Amino acid sequence: MSDQQQGLDFSMVIASTVHDMKNSLALLIQAHGQWVSQLPREHRGHAEQGVIDYEFAHLNSMLVQLLGLYKLGVNQLPLRPDYHELDDFIEAQLAFHEEVLASRGIAARYEVDDFGLPGFFDRELIGSVVSNVIINAIRYARKDVLISAGQVGEQLVISVNDDGPGFPQHMIERQSDYVLGINQSSGSTGLGLYFAANIARQHQRKGVHGHIEIVNGGELGGGLFRIFLP
Amino acid sequence: MLAWNQKTFLIVDDFSDFRSSVRSMLRELGVKEVDTADNGEQAIKACSQKRYDFILHDFNLGDGKKNGQQVLEDLMTDRLISHESVFVMVTAENSQAMVMSALEWEPDAYLTKPFNRAGLAQRLEKIVQRKTLLKPILQALDRGKPAEVLAACVNLTKQDPRFAPLCLRYKADALRDLNQHEPLEAFLKSILADRPQPWAYAALGKLLHKRGRNGEAQTVYEEAIRAFNSMPVLFDGLADVLIASGDNRRAQKMLEEAVRLSPYAVRRQRLLGKLALENQDFDGASKAYRQAVSQGQFSRFKDPETNLGLAQALISKGGDRGLDARTRVEINQTLGEVAKEHTNDAGLQVRARLMKATSVATSDPEMAAKLTAQAMERLEGMEQFLSADAALAVASQLKQLGQESAGAGILKSCAEIYGDDPAVMQNIARQTDDPGILSAGKAAIDLNLQGIRSYRAGKLGEAQDLFRKGLALQPKNISIALNMAQSLLHMGVQNLDAASLQECRNSLKMVGKMPESDPRYDRYQKLRLKAFGE
Repeated sequence: MSDQQQGLDFSMVIASTVHDMKNSLALLIQAHGQWVSQLPREHRGHAEQGVIDYEFAHLNSMLVQLLGLYKLGVNQLPLRPDYHELDDFIEAQLAFHEEVLASRGIAARYEVDDFGLPGFFDRELIGSVVSNVIINAIRYARKDVLISAGQVGEQLVISVNDDGPGFPQHMIERQSDYVLGINQSSGSTGLGLYFAANIARQHQRKGVHGHIEIVNGGELGGGLFRIFLP
Repeated sequence: MLAWNQKTFLIVDDFSDFRSSVRSMLRELGVKEVDTADNGEQAIKACSQKRYDFILHDFNLGDGKKNGQQVLEDLMTDRLISHESVFVMVTAENSQAMVMSALEWEPDAYLTKPFNRAGLAQRLEKIVQRKTLLKPILQALDRGKPAEVLAACVNLTKQDPRFAPLCLRYKADALRDLNQHEPLEAFLKSILADRPQPWAYAALGKLLHKRGRNGEAQTVYEEAIRAFNSMPVLFDGLADVLIASGDNRRAQKMLEEAVRLSPYAVRRQRLLGKLALENQDFDGASKAYRQAVSQGQFSRFKDPETNLGLAQALISKGGDRGLDARTRVEINQTLGEVAKEHTNDAGLQVRARLMKATSVATSDPEMAAKLTAQAMERLEGMEQFLSADAALAVASQLKQLGQESAGAGILKSCAEIYGDDPAVMQNIARQTDDPGILSAGKAAIDLNLQGIRSYRAGKLGEAQDLFRKGLALQPKNISIALNMAQSLLHMGVQNLDAASLQECRNSLKMVGKMPESDPRYDRYQKLRLKAFGE
């Protein structure tokens, strides 16, 4: 071993700590879930339960994103695209968030244009992006979230729509700044856009790169996030 | 919906809380049969006693333990699970690092902790759906029949073209196993032109490399790395090609990159150690070999060459300065393991002793002399051939330890056994100028080459005569003896008269002394089967 005492590589310190935090959170979530399932029915479904479930999910997705950003930073985020059935992909997302959706009283549904349509993307990476967006949508939705997938031209589009107040106008106007990482001051949503855009960009086909877009409106009238994959 | 109550499950995780949490999720789904294990060995044992429909395996079972990927490799290689069984790798972080360490076998799915019952059920149901669809392919895989796999892929795609993406990889593997080189090349190129995937690049690179088209293989790998810069398997492939074209320095760089991305691969670390040693990067070699030794502890790829390599690297690193106490302890330990675990392998016993003697030559000359004497005594009675690399190392150590003539003897027999390989002769030439060693085999090698030409031209009798003459000059040469046997067996074993059959068997007996690691060992096995019918 080298005797040289070098300064701490702080980003690595954060990454390895986050890794441990995520493990610890996983145990916490799992244990809590088990505990709740043993409670008598009348003690379940309190408002606090909604907060706990939501913040668990939120914490988890932030940690995943943080690790992702770290790997992106050190150029170690491997892309491994493959064919995936879209209905399977979205169903898995909804199942993952089942408790949160239930305890917040939000009905989530999905639509896939062509049933069994295969998409070509990295399931893990796109999964963490969509999961983050869903968590965000759950936060602002009143009662509905709609996830849809379809084809626009040559590209696959996965969108998450809610019936909340929508994205703030300045965020929509300056979305390219977030995407480029210029404006990093807006907390987790801004960082989320940066992460999502980066993951989208890694997906490319014949020179065309993926991208993201946020608008307000859509079928449910609230925030609408769309990720385009070539 | 799945008939959960008829399915058998195995949960493997080192955390008991986690095991019980997953167990209760499964219970809620209606699963009746759930077994658990807390380490890889137990998991393997369980699978050898019972057939499980589902295995939920945690990737990381603690430092110094078999990880999930290694368990999967063992289960597949030893055919302890069917292709129809479902293996889910459970991971703490997202699965990137695990995905990267998967070389040959991949789990059916990765599931990231934490997961809930709904998520688990959804994943499993989907996998079962897919596996039901792929059943004909999976059953053909279990039977080990690539032609049937291919036919099943064609059928499925005919049934619905949308299933084609599911078949790509099965089809490519089947074409590879059937040695259908041209169709495979065209198929892989069509995949890459449409939707490039790392595995398709790796498969194409491997194919081109195998067919000796190293330049093209290099281009493919370089393009692949530009597209997917974090897939270790692509760096591995490029390193193989670079080694084949003699660029060992760049090959080492590629493997270093692969190791940085995915450090948990015994074979990769070992190859890196070997390359670094050849490149005289003793620091790098020690580091890689050390990793390979410690990771190999619980792996099916454990190999005494790794321990010997580590000792060699450490000794070379010390150079003329000699070795400090800590290094000597490490060498002692790593060699002790070899000696202890391979008591019946004379070659390894000799090599471990000589290596040890070399390491203590200055600090404890008496011990060195004793070990050297023991090694030489063993060498004396040794029937088996050392591999060329091993023989070269032994010769140089004997020389260093003052046993010049014994060293020269090893070189001489190495030249006789492997003299038709120019690379080996080059390495021998680095150690000696003795024309008696360097050119003793020339005539025999020429006869061998002429024999090959005659054999190819269909002049069997002429070929046999030439090989026979060559073998008379260099009776231990593996290539000539193999050629002798093959040219005799070419006529069909039933057509050989007693003398010819005896000649053939004698040649093969000689060849049988080669180490199993020799690339010609497979060929020998096939010929032996023909000649001895056993």
